[in-house]
Amino acid sequence: MPNIFVLLLGEMRRLLRYNIMAASVVVALIWIGVLYLTEIPDITFIFPLLIFVDTTSMAILMVGVTIFFEKQEGSLRTILVTPITKFDYLLTKSIVTVVSSVVTLVILYFYATYFRELNLNFMAMLGSVILVSLFHSLVGFLLTYNSRDFTSLLINMMKYLVVFMIPTLLVNINIIQHDLLEKILYVAPTKAAMLLLYSSAGELALWELIYALAYMGLGSIILFIIVLKRFNHFAAKESGV
Amino acid sequence: MFQVRDVTFKYPRNRKNTIKGISFDVKQGEIFGLLGPSGVGKSTTQKIMIKLLAGYEGDIQYRNKDLKTYDKEYYQEIGVGFEVPVHFSKLTAEENINFFKKLYRNQANTDAMMERLGIFEVRKKRVGEFSKGMKVRLNFVRAVLNNPAVLFLDEPTIGLDPANARIIKTMIKEYRDLGGTVLLTTHLMNDVDELCDRVAFMVDGRIPVIDTPRNLKLKHGERKVEVEYTMGDATRKATFDLETLSRNDEFFNLIRTKNIITMHSKETTLDDIFIKITGVEKYA
Repeated sequence: MPNIFVLLLGEMRRLLRYNIMAASVVVALIWIGVLYLTEIPDITFIFPLLIFVDTTSMAILMVGVTIFFEKQEGSLRTILVTPITKFDYLLTKSIVTVVSSVVTLVILYFYATYFRELNLNFMAMLGSVILVSLFHSLVGFLLTYNSRDFTSLLINMMKYLVVFMIPTLLVNINIIQHDLLEKILYVAPTKAAMLLLYSSAGELALWELIYALAYMGLGSIILFIIVLKRFNHFAAKESGV
Repeated sequence: MFQVRDVTFKYPRNRKNTIKGISFDVKQGEIFGLLGPSGVGKSTTQKIMIKLLAGYEGDIQYRNKDLKTYDKEYYQEIGVGFEVPVHFSKLTAEENINFFKKLYRNQANTDAMMERLGIFEVRKKRVGEFSKGMKVRLNFVRAVLNNPAVLFLDEPTIGLDPANARIIKTMIKEYRDLGGTVLLTTHLMNDVDELCDRVAFMVDGRIPVIDTPRNLKLKHGERKVEVEYTMGDATRKATFDLETLSRNDEFFNLIRTKNIITMHSKETTLDDIFIKITGVEKYA
């Protein structure tokens, strides 16, 4: 069996055993609770918003949690002396993170279609979730590389959320209305992520869709290259440098 | 198998080199011990040789090819046993072993190994519930599950009871007898004495001495015989030179006329040599 499949199966098994997948499902259930408490019958506007919060933050967190578990148990050290390439290792973690985001999407979509009114293209939403989750899993790697421990990762993640996610969210729900800020936000990856997720509801200009796709797509490729290059330094640090 | 020449290494945050120009060979089919007090560079040397640390200067040849030119395929040929347990604690022993085993082309009969090491019966138990000794034994299985050509072992018997330590030592010797090469790092001089064909003592990032344990004992040893005997109510001791014992009248007179309690040859141990060479009181 090729190493990438062995890694994928191993990673999935560990997500289940370490209750990381369970935590992800619990978060999905919390989102269902939020939708349940919402009295609006048509949740087409809120749905991408919840998926946005979940996909961006959970993707970062999941990568960090799995790596810190491996660091803590020393298993990362033994992984580093196997024939696994860093490409396979990083790709596996990203794929598993994407799978977890998709599971959350499916759970929420199932609830929303059966119990509420939801008018969006599922396949477009699925594609958007995959791209946004992939991008943010890579952000998760970078934040993990720069974190000493899990607490430090949480602080770094909070910085990312405060600088990028919260302003995007507040502008999107019109709590902040500021022309310049709205324009500046196009620099933020979270803006591209938000636009991409809303594209499934068909409320996007073509140029916005192209911008969001290019940002998340090309951004993921560039980030993956950076993450790949910096992995050696991270691995050396794990070896006591 | 390995030719290490004038290797130096400095950690980025350090001002001084940790490894200060070491040279040694590790021959195929031998157990080579790397000994020395803590912090002299043994683990760093091992990390360089298992390619966990790059950026060293000097030359390391593995199978007559620069170590730097090897990619991840290198790990198909080597096995690494870390001192600390390195398992996924929420997976069972069997799941841990099977996960790593599938990453290699060459796969050993790990069930037989686990059976021999007394952990086969508990293979379906989560590793987090294992005792330290069980984790150490599982570490050993993890290190050899790909039938490696070279085995790097760091304190393979630490934390084990004598019976299980004996089994691991026997397995290491069997591995060597089948042509395997071992690079062993340990503080346990009994292990070194029993296992190593040659040893290198590391002191402050250098290797001042490389030899066989037997030669080291001959070079550094004082060959004496100590006799303990009673004289009246008192117990006395006398020491004789082993080399001239057959011509020593005082010795023969003593064993003929006195009540001998004990008589021991006083060969220098590797512990004594360790202290002498490294200048460190190991158990101080």
